[in-house]
Amino acid sequence: MRTLVFIPAWNEQASIADVIADVREAIPDADMLVVDDGSTDATTARARECGVLVATLPFNQGLGAALQTGYLYALREGYDLCAHLDADGQHPAAEVARLLEVLVADHADLVIGSRYSDPGAESASDDYKPTLSRRIGTSVFRFFLTLATRQRFTDTTSGMRAANRRVMALFSENYSPDFAEIESLQLAVRQGLRVEEVPVRMLERTGGTSFLTPVRSAFFIFKGVVVLLVGQFRPRHAEAER
Amino acid sequence: MSMLALAATAEQTTVRLTSQTRILAAVLAIVFMLLILELIRRDRLQERYSVIWFVAGLGMLAGAAFPGLLKLVADLMGVRDTNVALFSIVLLLLLGLALNFSVIMSRQAAQITRLAQERALEKARQQAEEGRTSNGASGQQALESEEQSL
Repeated sequence: MRTLVFIPAWNEQASIADVIADVREAIPDADMLVVDDGSTDATTARARECGVLVATLPFNQGLGAALQTGYLYALREGYDLCAHLDADGQHPAAEVARLLEVLVADHADLVIGSRYSDPGAESASDDYKPTLSRRIGTSVFRFFLTLATRQRFTDTTSGMRAANRRVMALFSENYSPDFAEIESLQLAVRQGLRVEEVPVRMLERTGGTSFLTPVRSAFFIFKGVVVLLVGQFRPRHAEAER
Repeated sequence: MSMLALAATAEQTTVRLTSQTRILAAVLAIVFMLLILELIRRDRLQERYSVIWFVAGLGMLAGAAFPGLLKLVADLMGVRDTNVALFSIVLLLLLGLALNFSVIMSRQAAQITRLAQERALEKARQQAEEGRTSNGASGQQALESEEQSL
């Protein structure tokens, strides 16, 4: 199976090389693509130095657009599977490999790496300590997404995912630039795709800072709920509108 | 004189538009439409976005030329005061127009995003090609040559 691992990156020059090396070691037979979402630092140059392909967006467009670029590339280049992980070093590539295994076994179309249900002896709480605002946001999203999809999700905003071609086709056409993670889950479930959560281990970020401040968090949560609500009224099995 | 004329016309008709305001409105409407024409002529405004403004200008002109029209609309709306009817209509039209612009903006934002994505992927493909042609075995050399070309 041809596999593409793509990494959306925005101003991650400090950590991108480590992440690439990590992926190379954990998933050696996968191709890699870094999607630079209009970084103003040396993210593109660092990634190229590592010898991976870089798709550089001419200006910052948000995570949704960056992820969609990756899905579009995977679809067009004929990859069977694709996966993506954050560029800030929070996602161990070995865990991404585990997500891909679920797809190879064809248990699901889209696999989400969840930091909340722990995989075993190493409990998630040891490695990952969320802030209060993130905890509130997480439970709000969890509640509404479960309500909307009638499927239990623990980590709704996880940026570690693996997908097959059915998902590539869907996401490369319909992917909200504003609210990528949550809306995409809702969309996938509504289109009848099999979405599965797999517990993974996540780390503290090695570079950069989280964009979440309390005010931003509140706005983020509000926006997310509105997006979910609107999403419930979107037509099912809709063809690409753009 | 104008004060007297104003009072007289106000009493004569229930439509509270004096001939002065009517002339002013008509002149404004004509100037407005000329402005639209000029903008199109100078390529500052596309034809397809100008239609709605012409309609608005014609509406203004019609309102100025036939004040009875406004009264009729007000009656249809069940509004006693024609001014209130006029402002309501204008407000609704502007609201609709603003919404229309948001729709156009959203579509264009989506188009710009896709354009940026296509360009980014094209560049990545180019990078892949260069890596393949300049060197087959070790990627390092290929990268160095590319670094120079950048």
